[in-house]
Amino acid sequence: MHHRFISSGSIAATVIAMSLLTANPVAAQTPDPTPVAGYTVPRTADGQPDFEGFWSNATYTPLQRRDGVAGEFYTAEEVAASEARAAERESAQTVPGTTADVHYDFTQFGLDRSQSTLASSLRTSLIFDPPDGRIPPRTTAGERIMAQREEQARLRGGRFDAVENNQLSDRCIIMGGAGPPMMNMVYNSNYQIVQSRDYVMFLIEMIHDARIIPLDGREQADANVRQWMGTSRGHWEGDTLVVETANFNGKNPIRGSTENMIVTERFTRVDDETIVYRFTIDDASMWTRPWSAELPMKKTIGPLFEHACHEGNYGLYNTLVGARREERLAAEAAAALKSN
Amino acid sequence: MHTRMIRMTRMIVPILGATLALAAVPVWAHHAFAAEFDVNKPLTLEGKLTRWEMINPHSWFYIDVEVTEGEVIQWAVEGGSPNQLIREGVTQYTVPVGTMLVVEGYQAKDGTNKAVGRNFTLPDGSRLFLGGSAAGARTK
Repeated sequence: MHHRFISSGSIAATVIAMSLLTANPVAAQTPDPTPVAGYTVPRTADGQPDFEGFWSNATYTPLQRRDGVAGEFYTAEEVAASEARAAERESAQTVPGTTADVHYDFTQFGLDRSQSTLASSLRTSLIFDPPDGRIPPRTTAGERIMAQREEQARLRGGRFDAVENNQLSDRCIIMGGAGPPMMNMVYNSNYQIVQSRDYVMFLIEMIHDARIIPLDGREQADANVRQWMGTSRGHWEGDTLVVETANFNGKNPIRGSTENMIVTERFTRVDDETIVYRFTIDDASMWTRPWSAELPMKKTIGPLFEHACHEGNYGLYNTLVGARREERLAAEAAAALKSN
Repeated sequence: MHTRMIRMTRMIVPILGATLALAAVPVWAHHAFAAEFDVNKPLTLEGKLTRWEMINPHSWFYIDVEVTEGEVIQWAVEGGSPNQLIREGVTQYTVPVGTMLVVEGYQAKDGTNKAVGRNFTLPDGSRLFLGGSAAGARTK
């Protein structure tokens, strides 16, 4: 994804590169949220609802409802207690000499979610549809795809056998904050929104992606155009920004999704501090039905800082060179044993 | 040369076991730290900070460790993403070059003088909180 990193200054060039087509709006299945009583949504100079600024979607709310939890919402007291427990777990201790201990300390670096702008939610899970708060079952074809992926991974060899076998996040290609859907990260869950009449841009701090989404009614890109973050088209439905994304390259599955996934995102500003962000994942190749989730974006302080995660970062190099050294030592030990 | 350092640090480890236990649980790693660093090579380094690279995805601290009088080895120590630190006003000058640091961590699997910095303390034993007041508040 970093190959396509686009600064806000490059918007014009991107605009020219995109073809002009028309929009294809999809009706909302769940009514959009409404602003809190007495709140008037601010407007940009173009008259659009104003989402500009800096936002965080850092949350402790799980994507899927945990076993044993019933109901769609907690009380405010339950959420406060749950967040306190989560913060405690996050800053808890590890046992020296264990794998978990081989890491820098999150708390010392200010990376605990409780040290960021926390986007609290009363929801027991981000997923609100299906009503059980869980990702729906896979289709038979979906199960087959998952099995094929496992087999392909097995044939590629161990995770540390080659650069390409490492996770996309290890390689600084793309992370979950970009999506779409734009999921919360453990840290740096920060976004900047910039609007113009015909475009909206989401700058994603982790790990430096920019989504530049046309609002001018053009049609979706040709299905031959396949991108890490798909191709997005946006439009307004009342005061809600709706963004539909297709044409994923299929190399970055969201919970198992395929290149056929369609993501519909809906952004509604409900008060001065909050944009309600909802998304629906529709991928009939993988799941028996679409599923939808909601997480808030809370106003935070700016600016965003460049993350500039780079493929070939020291960590990736160190990991691979360490693996090669362990192999060499093992081979030498085996040879020594044989010669004895 | 680093072999000697490891022997020395292994002797130190049991003494500092109690402080190591203060380290917080990593809930998410950008990459597999346990693949980069060796759980069987815990170490404690005490030395002078000479350079701090606040780069992503992780920051690196370079410290000069005096092994014997006049014999100095440079270690590179990996730490967390600097973005949140910058947001909270921490810069490379907040912990200035020349600061003496005690670093508990694990050595790189490739056997070079690299380590992950599990826990950073100042020579007086106080824990170095690079981050915001929330973290500091929890320890008071």
